[in-house]
Amino acid sequence: MNKNSNMTKFDIKLLIVIIIVISFGILTIYSAGFDPVDKLNNGMYKRQIMWFVIGFFLMIGISFLDYKVIGAFAPHIYLINLFILILTTFFAPIIRGSRAWIDFGLFSIQPSEFMKLSTVILLAKYIELRDRDLHNFRELFIPAIIILFPILFIILQSDFGTAMIFIPILFALLFVGGADISHIVSILSIAFFSLTVPLTLLYFEDIGTAGLVSDFFNQGMAVFAVAGFFLFIAVTFYMLHLFFVNKVFRYIYMPSFVFSLSFIFSPVVKRLLQGYQKNRILAFLNPDKYPHDLGYNVIQSKIAIGSGGFFGKGILKGTQTQLGFLPETTSDFIFSVICEEWGFIGAFLLLILLFVIVYRSMKTALVAGDKFGSLLATGITCIYFFHILINVGITIGIIPVTGIPLVFVSYGGSNMMMSMIGLGFLLSIQSKKSTF
Amino acid sequence: MSFTSITAKLNEEFRKRVFIFIGIMILCFLVLAIQVFRLQIVFGNEYKLKAKLNMEDYVPIISSRGEMYDRNFSLASEDNKVIASNRPSFNLTLVRAKYEDDAELEKCLFNLSQIIDINYSSVFNDIKTKNKWEHYVVMEDVPFEKIVNIASHQHLYPHIKWEDVPVRVYNYSEMFSHVVGYIGSINKDEYNDLKDKGYKYYHKLGKYGLEKQYDTLLRGIDGNVRRIVDVKNRTEGEEVGKDPVAGNNLVLTIDYNIQKAAHEALQGYVGTVVVMKASTGEIVSLASNPGFNPNVIIGKENENIFLELQNNKDKPFLNRAIQTRYPPASTFKLVTAIAALEEAKWNPNILNYCPGYYTLKGYIDTLKQCYKSTAHGTINMFQAIGESCNVYFYNVGYKIGPTPIMKYAEYFGLNEKTGVDLPGEVTGFVPSQKWKRRVFGQSWYDGDTVNLAIGQGFIAVTPIEMASFLTGIVNNGVIYKPYLIKEIRSQDNVQILQEHKREKIKEIPLSSVTLDTVKTGMRLSVTSGTSARLNYLKVPIAGKTGTAQTRSARKDESAQHAWFIGFAPFTEIENDKYVVAVLIERGVAGAATAVPVAEKVFQSMITAGYFNE
Repeated sequence: MNKNSNMTKFDIKLLIVIIIVISFGILTIYSAGFDPVDKLNNGMYKRQIMWFVIGFFLMIGISFLDYKVIGAFAPHIYLINLFILILTTFFAPIIRGSRAWIDFGLFSIQPSEFMKLSTVILLAKYIELRDRDLHNFRELFIPAIIILFPILFIILQSDFGTAMIFIPILFALLFVGGADISHIVSILSIAFFSLTVPLTLLYFEDIGTAGLVSDFFNQGMAVFAVAGFFLFIAVTFYMLHLFFVNKVFRYIYMPSFVFSLSFIFSPVVKRLLQGYQKNRILAFLNPDKYPHDLGYNVIQSKIAIGSGGFFGKGILKGTQTQLGFLPETTSDFIFSVICEEWGFIGAFLLLILLFVIVYRSMKTALVAGDKFGSLLATGITCIYFFHILINVGITIGIIPVTGIPLVFVSYGGSNMMMSMIGLGFLLSIQSKKSTF
Repeated sequence: MSFTSITAKLNEEFRKRVFIFIGIMILCFLVLAIQVFRLQIVFGNEYKLKAKLNMEDYVPIISSRGEMYDRNFSLASEDNKVIASNRPSFNLTLVRAKYEDDAELEKCLFNLSQIIDINYSSVFNDIKTKNKWEHYVVMEDVPFEKIVNIASHQHLYPHIKWEDVPVRVYNYSEMFSHVVGYIGSINKDEYNDLKDKGYKYYHKLGKYGLEKQYDTLLRGIDGNVRRIVDVKNRTEGEEVGKDPVAGNNLVLTIDYNIQKAAHEALQGYVGTVVVMKASTGEIVSLASNPGFNPNVIIGKENENIFLELQNNKDKPFLNRAIQTRYPPASTFKLVTAIAALEEAKWNPNILNYCPGYYTLKGYIDTLKQCYKSTAHGTINMFQAIGESCNVYFYNVGYKIGPTPIMKYAEYFGLNEKTGVDLPGEVTGFVPSQKWKRRVFGQSWYDGDTVNLAIGQGFIAVTPIEMASFLTGIVNNGVIYKPYLIKEIRSQDNVQILQEHKREKIKEIPLSSVTLDTVKTGMRLSVTSGTSARLNYLKVPIAGKTGTAQTRSARKDESAQHAWFIGFAPFTEIENDKYVVAVLIERGVAGAATAVPVAEKVFQSMITAGYFNE
C-alpha cells in the first residue's frame, strides 16, 4: 500500500453527495432565515457555511489519520468527552431551556453531539475485543453501561432527543457486530411491551375510553401476580435447560422472561412517564386534541409538507416557513421547509441522497481493514441513519416530537462538525482497507 | 476448526448482517418516502387549504347601523332629532401569544383589574381556552379616560390594544323605548335561525321594536379585509377586501314633540297614548309607560338590570298600545251606535228616558247604574254619546241584538291586528254566540248583549285598534294601515330610498247620517259632555271617554281603566285630522285621568302647529 493511492480509495461519490446535501441545507437555512415582512435575512446561513468549511478541514485532517490509533485511545476519548459532558450538564448556562452548550462567546459547542461519536468509537472497540463472546448475554451489559452514562447526563441536560438516539445506535451496532439475535429480540420485546402497553393505556385514558385493562394495570398486585407466574415458568425452564440442553426449553423460558419483565416494567414506566414527556407522547398520538400547545409543531409541519404538493412553492415562497407558522425551521423542522418549498420532487431527491449517504457509509464497513474499522463505520452510519429516520419521522408525524437535527442539513455547528469528523473516519477507513 | 475458518465464518456472518441492516434501512426510507408521498400528493390539496387558512387573515368590518330620526327630519336642518345613533367606543383586546409566558399575561391582567372592572383570574382562565393568536376582547366599551391611562402606562399593560367599535346610543332613553326597541348580542337559537341570512355570531341583532322590525335595513352589509399575515399577525404585502355598506337610516312618523308630551303626560300612570294621522295611518306618537332605558340593557354586563325590568310588576317591556287588551267600555258605544244606525235603521233622534238605572226585563238582579247615578232624563242619541248614557245604549243593544254590534266591531278590525310595523302586536277580541257556547257551554244572554253594547263583558281591544277604528270614522269609513316609518334614507341621508305610501286596509260603507250622528255626538262630549275639559283648546275636538270595569273593579274603584279617544279638528272641510287614543290603567274614570293626558297631547300638537291651516 502506498500513500499516493490513498486519495483514489476515497469514496469520492460519498463526499460529493454529502456536499450536495450540505449545500441543499445551506440554501434551505437561507430561505428559512428570510423575514418577508422586514425583508431581512437573519444570516444564519453564513454561519452554517463557516461550520461547513471548518468541518471540511477537520474531515480532511481526520481522513489522513489512522483510525486504528483512535481505536487505541477509545476509552480515553470516551472518558474525556464524558467528563466535559458532565461539566456542561452542571455548570453550563441555560440556553433554549437546556444546559447543553459550552459558550465560547462567538460560538458554542455542544459536547453531547461529540459524545455520540465517542460512544460509537468505544462500542466499536469493545465489540471488536469481545468479538467471539458477544453471543453471551452477559457481554451485553458493558455496552449498556457505556451508553447509560451519556444518556443519563444528556437527560439531565433536558435534551431527551439526543439522549434517546444512543439506544437504537447500540442495538444496530450489537446486531451488526454479531450479538445473538434472540437476545436483541428479547430486549427489544421487553422494551416494546414496557413502552407500548403504558402508552396505549395513557392514550385511552387521555381520550377517556380506558376501561378494564387500565384498571388492571393500575392495580399493582394483579400485574405482579401475572409477572410472577411468567417468571416462575422462565426460571423453571431455565433450570431444566441447564440440566438437559435442549433448544425447546430456550423457546419457552425466553418469551416467559420477556413477558414477565414486560408486566413488571409496564406500570413502572407508566408511572415514570409523567409531565412533559407524557404530554408530548399524547400530543403525538392525538395531535388534534392539542392544536395550540403540544400538537402545534407537528400539525404545522404536516401542513407545510402537505401544502408543498408535487412541485413545491419555490424557495423563499413557502408560506408556512416564511410567515413563521412552522417552528424551528432551521433545525428540527428543516425537512418540512424543504418539502414545502421544493415539493415532493425535492423531498424525494433529498431522501435518495440521504439514503446514498447511509448506503455508501455502510458499504465502508465491508471494505475496512479490520473489525474495529468495520464497526466504527457501522456506528457512524447508525448515527447518520437514526438522525435521518427520527428527524424526518418527526416532521411527517410518525415519531413523537423530540429535538433532533437532520445530519448535514440542519443548522448547527456541533452536529456539522461531528458529522464531518465521522465522514473523516469513514474516509480514513476506506483508505486503509485491507483483507481480513 | 482452524482459526482462519472461524474468521471467515464470522466475516461471512458480518457481511450478512450488514446487508440485513442495509435492507432495514431501505425499508425505513421507503416508509418515510411513502408518508411524504401521502402528505404531499394524496392529501396535498387538503394541506394546501390549511396553509391558506393559516396565512389569510379575514377580518370582517362590521357595517355601521342605520340611524333613526323623528318625522321632522330635514336634510338641511342642523337640529334634527336623532333618536338612535352610534357612538364610538373602545374595546380592550390582547393576543395571548405575544406574551413571554403565562406569568406576564397574568400580571398584565392583574394590573388591568386595578383600573377597570374585570375579574383577572376568570379572564385569564377564559383566554387560556382560546387560540393563542386570537384577538381576545378583555372588556367592551372602556371609558376614554381609562384608555388614556392605559396608553400612558404601557409598561404596566404590555401588548394591550384598543379597537374602535361603534356602540348603539338611544338619545332619548325611555321616551322612545317601546317604539325603537333595542339591539343585543345574537344568541345561540337566533344564530341557528339566522345564520343562513348572513348573520354572524359576533353580530348585534335588533331584539325589540323597530330595531327588530327593520333589522335587515338597519344593519347594512359587512365588509372585510383579507390580508396575508405571518404567525405574529404582521401583514405581508397588500390588503384586499371590500368596504362595508352602511345600514339605511330611518325617518320615523313619530314627532319628537308630541312623543315628548305624551311621554311626560303619562308619567305617574301606567298607560299608553297613540296619535295617528287619519288620512294616512302615520303614527305621530306612540308612548307606553312605564318604559325602560335601552342604553342600559344593551351591554352584556347589564343582565341583572334586564332581569329586574323583566320581573317588574308593571311590566315595563310591555308596549301597552299594541300588546295589551282592555275592555273598550264607553268608547265602544260608537260601534253600537253605528251598528244601530246602519243595520237597524235607528233614528238618532229617537228619544229614550234615562232614570239613572236600567233593569233588564226578566232579570231581577241586573239593576245597572248609568254612568251618572243621577238621571240623564229624556235624551236622543247625540246626547247619549256626548253624555255617555249607559241606559240609552242598553236599550239600543237590547233592541238591535248582539249580531249587528259584533259585525261592525269586526268590520272595524277590532278582532285583528292593525298590521302596524312593530313586532309582537296582539289582536283584540270580539265575542260571538258560537264562541260563548264553545267556551262556557252557555247560550248568549240578553245581559251579555247589553254589556256588549257599552263595551263591557267579553269584548277587549288594544289601544291601537281603537285609534285605528276612530280613523275609520274620521275618514268616513276608510282605514289606513298604521305605520311608523316615513322614509328610508341612505346612510348619508341624501337619497330617499323609499317613501311610505298609505295603505288602505278597510273601506266600510257608512251613511252620512251615521257619520254625522257619531261625530256630532263626540263633539257634544267635548262641548258639554264628559270630555268638556278639552273645550277651551284652540282647536275643535271631538271625543269619547270610557271607564272600563275590570273584574276587581266592583270592589276597588281605582281598578278601572280610563279611556279617551278623540280627533281634531272637528270640521266639515277636508284637512289633516289626527286621532288620539289614551288608555290609563287603574285610572279611576276616563274623564278624570285619560282626558287630562289627551289634553296635554292636543296642546302639544297645537303648539307644534298641527292644526294651523
